[in-house]
Amino acid sequence: MNEDSATLLEERSRALFEDSVERVDMRVRSRLTRARHAAVEAAAKRKGAWVFGAPRWTPAAGVTAAALLGAALWFAPQMGNRPMPATDNPAFEDLDIVASSDEMELLQDDPEFYDWANRATSPDPGSVG
Amino acid sequence: MPRFATLSHACMAWDGPAPAPEDAALDQTRELEKFLAEVERRAFRIAQVALRDADDALDVVQDTMLKLARNYAARPSAEWRPLFYRILENGIRDLQRRRSVRKRFMTWLPGPKEDPDNEAQDPLENVADAAPQAPDQLMQAQAMQQLEISLQALPARQRQAFMLRTFEGLDVAATASAMGCSEGSVKTHYSRAVHTLREQLGEVW
Repeated sequence: MNEDSATLLEERSRALFEDSVERVDMRVRSRLTRARHAAVEAAAKRKGAWVFGAPRWTPAAGVTAAALLGAALWFAPQMGNRPMPATDNPAFEDLDIVASSDEMELLQDDPEFYDWANRATSPDPGSVG
Repeated sequence: MPRFATLSHACMAWDGPAPAPEDAALDQTRELEKFLAEVERRAFRIAQVALRDADDALDVVQDTMLKLARNYAARPSAEWRPLFYRILENGIRDLQRRRSVRKRFMTWLPGPKEDPDNEAQDPLENVADAAPQAPDQLMQAQAMQQLEISLQALPARQRQAFMLRTFEGLDVAATASAMGCSEGSVKTHYSRAVHTLREQLGEVW
């Protein structure tokens, strides 16, 4: 097979193909046109969504953001009203008493009363006058 | 006068403000439609030669158009042609595989054999042509039919290489891209296809 015969084959094949393309019937042409319009419409919709800054996941993101905001509003007041946790360490209570200046003043005002009160709560009843 | 000429030239050279994104998208959509209109009938014929069925060929071309538009419309238009034919060839191959599986499965099922005489026929097929074909047109049609028979007898890769290079006019690089293989493979497949076709059709043509 030489180059010329190969080229002739290609040229002839191409011409026959072009001729057959021109003879495609109207039914097929019509269906192809409809398919083309559907494809172009699909492309336009897709492009439009990106052009106007609204990607397809926007609704999902909006719903998620609304749910998070709702949860924050629901739980925030409850967090604010919650009582302080009780502490198991009594040293903190003693520290408060010692730090309080009012308590120290009371002790200085009436030491005899406190002495009596201490004896009254003691287990030996005979010591109370 | 030269001053006016210079000013006029400057005005002509100024393209104005950059187009809005909406305009650019519209331009690209129009360009896509133009491309598809240019390629649709050729793609149909290529698919028809490979699949030997007009409806299957239409389905594959329709699917190819949609896939290109949905997934690759934003790509530069110069890339569309090889991408389009790659999608088309994949669609043809998938359909051929499904047919093969269906055929194997059907041979295991008992049932009445299809009688070719009783097949439902498309009524349009029986409608006579409005204008009878001229002798040279008839010869063209017969020659194309012989070419199609020879192409269908070729291995799939050789047929693809021949149709993309000869019918669609793709260069070696674009054909390789469409076929998903190396340029060397394209040259080999193409050369073998031409050799086989020349041997089969040489005497007829």
